[in-house]
Amino acid sequence: MKITKLVCLTCCGWSLGAQVTDRQLREANSANWLHYNGSYDSRRHSPLDQINTKTVDALVPKWVFHVPGATHMESVPIVVDGVMYVTQPNEVYALDARSGRQIWEYHRIPARQKGPNRGVAVWGDKVYFTTPDAYLIALHAASGNVIWEAKLAEASDGYWSPAAPLVANGKVIAGIAPSDHGLNGFLDAYDATTGERLWRFNPIPKAGEKGSETWSGDSWKTGGGDTWLTGSYDPELNVLYWGIGNPAPDFNGDVRKGDNLYTECVVALDLDTGKMKWYFQFTPHDTMDWDAVEIPVLVDAPYQGKMRKLMAHADRNGFYYLLDRVTGQFLTGTPFVHQLNWATGLSPEGRPIRVPGIEPSLKGTKVCPAAIGAANWMSPAYNPETGLFYVVAQEGCGMANKSTEKFRPGGFQYRATGDVNLKDESWKVYVRALDLTTGKLKWESERIGSTSFGGGLLSTAGGLIFSGEVNGQFVALDTQSGKAVWHFNTGQAITAQPITYSVRGKQHVALASASDVISFGLFEPKKEEAK
Amino acid sequence: MLLFSNNLIRPLAILAITALGASAQVVKSKNPLRDSPEVVTAGRSLYNKTCTGCHGKDGDEGDRAPSLNANRRYFRLSEAAIFDAVKNGIPGTAMPASGLPDLDVWRIVAFIRNIRGTTSDNIVPGDIASGMTVFTGAGGCSRCHMIRGQGGTIGPDLSSIGAQVTLQKLRDSLTQDGPIPPGYRPVNVTTLSGDVVQGIARNEDAFSIQILDEKNKLHLFDKQELRAIVYGKKSLMPHNYDKALTAIQFRDLLAMLSRQARTKVKMEQQGENEVGR
Repeated sequence: MKITKLVCLTCCGWSLGAQVTDRQLREANSANWLHYNGSYDSRRHSPLDQINTKTVDALVPKWVFHVPGATHMESVPIVVDGVMYVTQPNEVYALDARSGRQIWEYHRIPARQKGPNRGVAVWGDKVYFTTPDAYLIALHAASGNVIWEAKLAEASDGYWSPAAPLVANGKVIAGIAPSDHGLNGFLDAYDATTGERLWRFNPIPKAGEKGSETWSGDSWKTGGGDTWLTGSYDPELNVLYWGIGNPAPDFNGDVRKGDNLYTECVVALDLDTGKMKWYFQFTPHDTMDWDAVEIPVLVDAPYQGKMRKLMAHADRNGFYYLLDRVTGQFLTGTPFVHQLNWATGLSPEGRPIRVPGIEPSLKGTKVCPAAIGAANWMSPAYNPETGLFYVVAQEGCGMANKSTEKFRPGGFQYRATGDVNLKDESWKVYVRALDLTTGKLKWESERIGSTSFGGGLLSTAGGLIFSGEVNGQFVALDTQSGKAVWHFNTGQAITAQPITYSVRGKQHVALASASDVISFGLFEPKKEEAK
Repeated sequence: MLLFSNNLIRPLAILAITALGASAQVVKSKNPLRDSPEVVTAGRSLYNKTCTGCHGKDGDEGDRAPSLNANRRYFRLSEAAIFDAVKNGIPGTAMPASGLPDLDVWRIVAFIRNIRGTTSDNIVPGDIASGMTVFTGAGGCSRCHMIRGQGGTIGPDLSSIGAQVTLQKLRDSLTQDGPIPPGYRPVNVTTLSGDVVQGIARNEDAFSIQILDEKNKLHLFDKQELRAIVYGKKSLMPHNYDKALTAIQFRDLLAMLSRQARTKVKMEQQGENEVGR
């Protein structure tokens, strides 16, 4: 048979070109899951409702894909027209989303570094992901062939890149880690077609630049400020919203006096230029490793009688914030955990009112939340029908110490000590539903048996919140009440966020659970039985 | 080596290896001349002068001795083991001691190791730029294969082919029919509604099939949706490039492919430190 005779004689309903357009990325087609957090606004809310409070009893596993060698997957699957893309560090798999059968696999050879990976981004006929040795790689979506590679940073310096990229208007936005090594972070934009770098945003201002006055001496040179989670994008404003990580060293602020801008901030960046439009700092002069990389959720909603473009954010420092995302103006903020002793509240400008002495010390100080934070990598969700913001909240404190550790180049830790979790009776994990505009608690559901965060949340128009727990339980909660209405024991720790998609009219819910990707759907009795 | 995974057995294993080594000639474990192109070229010349009475030219099969570059299991893999065989011969076989000075034996060792390595380890003569022109033009290769992001997808990506296969394997794939590689089986399916899709089966089980067509489209079917599945019996890959192309075009294409090593990973050198057995 000659190649030239190969012709697809039909473009039937099953042909999958995987050509993802900018329009599709903006509209976030409900059948697909096109972004790490489902849509540019990061609401993680799907209009799919086939699986709902009435049918969820019939939700069963449809297939399992075992990822060889995986032990604690953090990947969020992306689904494009029936094809699922899921990652393991240095690896990407394309799966038939209906059957779980593999279409292709990509392995980075040699895999020079190890480290987590949270998933891919898609655009056109390409799939984008970052690697533990700090590369951004574009693969051909239908075959897995490498189209281009771009080096983000020097891995031997200690850089790596775990976050799923975000693609907007032909630009791939990719972040870097870690600031815990005293390395200054950045956020890059690359041409999605060629891999050419278009701009770089440096969150740590150099000497003489605006913001550098918030760093004492030369401390800005080892200032940290990484970008290890995915941000959000407002197509109408053409603005990216990205959380910036902690200052370095993490736990000793004596050597970096000042607010340490723009660490612990959300920054609003022009997509075309990377120029900063505004910033808001959640924890000035942080000494508890409370990275502010938690997902900014974009919502248009009435606030005090006026329609506003809002940004909601549950920070690792224990406060829930509502900002005007056009101006960066602080609107309101309130704790979403009870275990919070480092601040008595927020000023009218949103600056924390600190309690003196509640910070790491040589002898150790009890600080709440602990360094792992009240929130972390677990994506929140927002349901426009309920007006509720759903967040995974960790209650607990740490005994925090500091030291006089010095910076060493070459990728060594530069934390100047840390904290020990005080795992007493207060150490608990909850899914909490907050009123969007006030932060007031509407309901909570404890993840009983969980000693740590687990995975994030998914909201659906079926009236359900899906929640993966570190003890292995995958649970559906009623959106209105928080009552558990379905659960499935995956048997292994869940630390990734669930998704939903639809193939040929059938809704699935899927997630990565430690070493496997599991996809659920409604049980379908055989036709004879249905009669 | 599994034995070595057990600490209790390890001392015994080391003793056994030592005993084996003692029974063979005492040889240097590493080639003092290394494996530079000059050394390999000199080794090739020596080999073709000295060894081809039994073995074939350039390591091919000869009238009285096997090929040294074929796909077979070799029992002498390490530099030391090959040195031992060339220097001292193989007792009980027709393989004689070469009688060559040690440095010449090492040159031959470098050549033999080279022809068993990946294509990119070999010296493959030809014009690489011209080979790329053949790849995208007369050869028609880029319709199905991709190199560094350019080309088709219905065949394997060749960006690292030079680092993945031996020269012999590469040459064979261009000139001889062979088994269809997994994930590239030609298939033609007809749906219940009569639609026809042709392409390659990237994957398949008893219940579903995942097809990639020439236009880079994926078609994912449950088999209960299909009326007929017809498989192509031959690979889509033509295997007559030595005849379809001119000798110079074929040489240049081979040279270009040999240099494709995007991921510079050498094939696993089995049996390192193994002494003749």
